[in-house]
Amino acid sequence: MVDLAVRVGALRLANPVLAASGTFGYGLDLVDLCPPERLGAVVSKGLSPLPRAGNPTPRIVETAAGMINAIGLQNIGVEAFCREVAPELASRGATVIVNVFGERPHEYREVIERCERVDSIAGYELNVSCPNVDHGGMEFGHDPKQLVALTALCRAATQRPLWVKLSPNAPHLVATAQAAVDGGADALTLINTLRAIAIDPVRRRPVLATGYGGLSGPAIKPVALRMVWDVHRALPTVPLVGIGGIDSGRDAVEFLLAGASAVQVGTAIFRQPSAPLRILAEIEAFCVSQGVEEVRSLIGGLQWR
Amino acid sequence: MIARRDLSVRLIDRRDLSPTCFSLLLACPENVGAEPGQFGMLTCGSGIDPLLRRPFSIAGVRPGAAGATVELLVKEVGRGTAWLRRAPLGATLELLLPLGRGFNLDAAADGRPALVAGGIGLPPVLFAAQRLAEQGVGFDLFLGAVTAAELLEVSRCRAITDAVGGELILTTDDGSAGEAGFVTAALCRRSAQGRRYPRVLACGPDPMLQAVARWASEAGAVAELSLEEPMACGVGVCLGCVVELADGRRVAACKEGPVFEAARLAAHWRP
Repeated sequence: MVDLAVRVGALRLANPVLAASGTFGYGLDLVDLCPPERLGAVVSKGLSPLPRAGNPTPRIVETAAGMINAIGLQNIGVEAFCREVAPELASRGATVIVNVFGERPHEYREVIERCERVDSIAGYELNVSCPNVDHGGMEFGHDPKQLVALTALCRAATQRPLWVKLSPNAPHLVATAQAAVDGGADALTLINTLRAIAIDPVRRRPVLATGYGGLSGPAIKPVALRMVWDVHRALPTVPLVGIGGIDSGRDAVEFLLAGASAVQVGTAIFRQPSAPLRILAEIEAFCVSQGVEEVRSLIGGLQWR
Repeated sequence: MIARRDLSVRLIDRRDLSPTCFSLLLACPENVGAEPGQFGMLTCGSGIDPLLRRPFSIAGVRPGAAGATVELLVKEVGRGTAWLRRAPLGATLELLLPLGRGFNLDAAADGRPALVAGGIGLPPVLFAAQRLAEQGVGFDLFLGAVTAAELLEVSRCRAITDAVGGELILTTDDGSAGEAGFVTAALCRRSAQGRRYPRVLACGPDPMLQAVARWASEAGAVAELSLEEPMACGVGVCLGCVVELADGRRVAACKEGPVFEAARLAAHWRP
């Protein structure tokens, strides 16, 4: 029997596999195929103070071992989530992290303040890395000064675990990570999607309506792994949540070894809604095969040389 | 609502239907159900490339002692469908079904509906025709294609339509079979000749669906359109396949659709 429990900072999770924001709806969409209470946690679709309609279509395109999306943070708004979704997630016993988005700093804080009135929400993940919106998102995540201020503003609004989801598109990854920590983040999620385009050569136009989108899926895994490792090496005491192209238990173990305390499964859910459960079972089988009794003993276990 | 299942299925038969289209028979390990207009997400490769499953409207489900057999009609348009065309019989694929909302057949049974299929839009229409025939509901079936070679499953469509005393109307854009011109022109002609269809169930290219919607609003009929949108997940979480409604909301075609009443859709669907 493998002990699957991990900690991300002060937050104890029953296992290290989480469903990533934007790939699992609000947590209740796939209860028949992937019960949220069986995951370490579910991270909600990015929530803003008011509902957002998102971008025009086409919003997605498949690429080699990956896909590019430009959904544009379409969501039902924090009020509907807190009133209609959160209670049922709580009654199922799911651990819920709310992914927070705003176009202006005060909007991030508004989302958190609304969620603070819901006892069952375990923590927050700030989306400062969405490449698919004109305002907010990536513009905060690329400027360390703005990121310190935004994180501090949110920190002041909650005692709960506060994660910051970093952009792989930022010019200085470690400086950005440091900024989030300086602002009071408890943990860092990395990485969000890589800014990308796809071109239709016949029409000579971008495939996506917005032109740019974010690349996800197995194609980005080596980059994500490198970024987790770089941040772990630079900031070894900061808890990390690894994400980027994880599609198997082995993938997940690689992220744990690189320094992640937990992992998020995203695009793999589109391929197979029960992918997080399969990946969890594969992690367990890997541990058994390697004589690992506690999955947390893998965290940061990479022997670089 | 029929519970959805994610199943390992076996490819047991494949038949060429036209130069570009083929049918697949998939053996499920258990009995599954589906309503006409619902779809499934099928793996189109054995690894991570192509990455995503492809959505296919279900053409039919036959229950069996060892499990149901699901029929799909597929057009080769890219990497995934090319793989399906060459996958060895006996191959194991993953199929998630049934998904989405199909046609309202109860309402269709109240009158004599028109069924309209263009090209590879046939599968949900064929499934609806079969189901209506089982219920003894009469209908006319309009089947159109660019050219004679791309008219799919003509004899099967004829048998089903004959069984309910309906008319099968074939059309080709180039006039190589049936009536020359678009399938929707044939619908308008029958309507102008006084044939009344309170409801039309349609699947095909967007311009065909728009023409069906236009005819329906002029004729005072209800049009149910089965839309095709690129989708990654098929289960309402990626939000890639959104369709704009008349009230401005963007809803996932995979969940609220793929069949929509034309009157609910944004204006560009009802020109």
